[in-house]
Amino acid sequence: MKSKLFILAAVVVVLSASVAVLAHHGGNLYDTTKATELKPATITKFEWGTPHNQIYFDVKNAKGEMQHWVGSTEPAGVMLERGWTRRSLKEGDLVTVFIFAAKNGATVGNIQKIIMADGKELTTSGPPAGGAAREGGAGRGN
Amino acid sequence: MRPPWMRIVLLASMVALPILLEAQAADPPKPPMDVYTLKNFLPTAPPSPLPASSVPDLSGDWALGLGGIGQSLSAADPAGRMRGKEPDIPYQPWALEYTMKQFPPTGPDAAFERTTDPNIHTCEPLGLGRIYMYPAKTKFVQTPAVVYILHELGPAFRIVWLNARHPEDPDPQYWGHSIGWYENGDTLVVDTVGVNDRSWLDQLGHPHTERLHFIERYKKTDANTLSLDMTVDDPGAYTAPWPGKRNFTKSATGFMRYMWVCSVRDNYEHYDKVGKSGNPGATSFK
Repeated sequence: MKSKLFILAAVVVVLSASVAVLAHHGGNLYDTTKATELKPATITKFEWGTPHNQIYFDVKNAKGEMQHWVGSTEPAGVMLERGWTRRSLKEGDLVTVFIFAAKNGATVGNIQKIIMADGKELTTSGPPAGGAAREGGAGRGN
Repeated sequence: MRPPWMRIVLLASMVALPILLEAQAADPPKPPMDVYTLKNFLPTAPPSPLPASSVPDLSGDWALGLGGIGQSLSAADPAGRMRGKEPDIPYQPWALEYTMKQFPPTGPDAAFERTTDPNIHTCEPLGLGRIYMYPAKTKFVQTPAVVYILHELGPAFRIVWLNARHPEDPDPQYWGHSIGWYENGDTLVVDTVGVNDRSWLDQLGHPHTERLHFIERYKKTDANTLSLDMTVDDPGAYTAPWPGKRNFTKSATGFMRYMWVCSVRDNYEHYDKVGKSGNPGATSFK
């Protein structure tokens, strides 16, 4: 029972953190309860910058129709902390995308994770890739 | 026959008592709320005498990030879920009305396509408090007379005059006039007045007036962690001071490795690309 409560508490904490971080510009418009998996997706453009990175990709829907998506991440400075660079993605990359998609069915959303063809994962949240952790420090505050 | 020392005590009392009573009577009453004054709820001068303190080492690149950014300055509601009903914000009626009339660009009540945010539309400087609502880094450059606070967001810098006093009647400006001092060997206290009323305190649109007195306490809690306690002391907008809190961690990815410049074009393009099609019924940004 205790372990179930702990898991529930951990889920609540993780979800709260996700909402706080990902709420930028319309987090309430996206379904943040589950990440939609889209594959195989082809990267068509990767915009690296502020206020957010934008990732454009094409993927077929269940009917076999090609759809054009655009998803955002935190800004470049934050994604550097999480191990991304402006060269992390390039046009033509075949990937699997996990995204908090718009509730109204529009092909936009907040990127959660991208899995490259070689299995390498790019995540958009979580502890920093470098920084305090690398210095043996205490990790993120709050 | 009284001893001579008793006569001296009596004489001293006769002289001192009226002076003490007069001093008490001359203590000015608190100014009414509608009178402009820099003498707000809390003192705006450095403590006297200044506390003896060694200088904490604030070097490094301090990042606000996961779990640390939040939407509201309210310490009780950093995620911004209780806009207008925060237990720790003692609004004056106009300030509550103002807050609830705004359309935040982000957070639970976000309405990006209708936002009234002065930063999104015109890149007005973010200002005190709100500068710490974004996942960006801050750096402190400590000199004997001045601490420079550098923000890669904006970018912006502030000057904190150490062990100094505020001018009597400072011109209201975006970042105000800041003085500072060290305490306990681990804390930098920054005290700011003379702020114009054009910025929001956070993403939710909490206002402030030119009577704002903003206090920041940056405390080094360990080699890689910096806690910031803020106090909003603004008798023009609130009925009592209220608190805000943020935490920083040291980053090794490099300060200004990606400068976060405010660009109206980038703001609008981001909305057009990602926000608009996710907004039912939204057709244009402005």
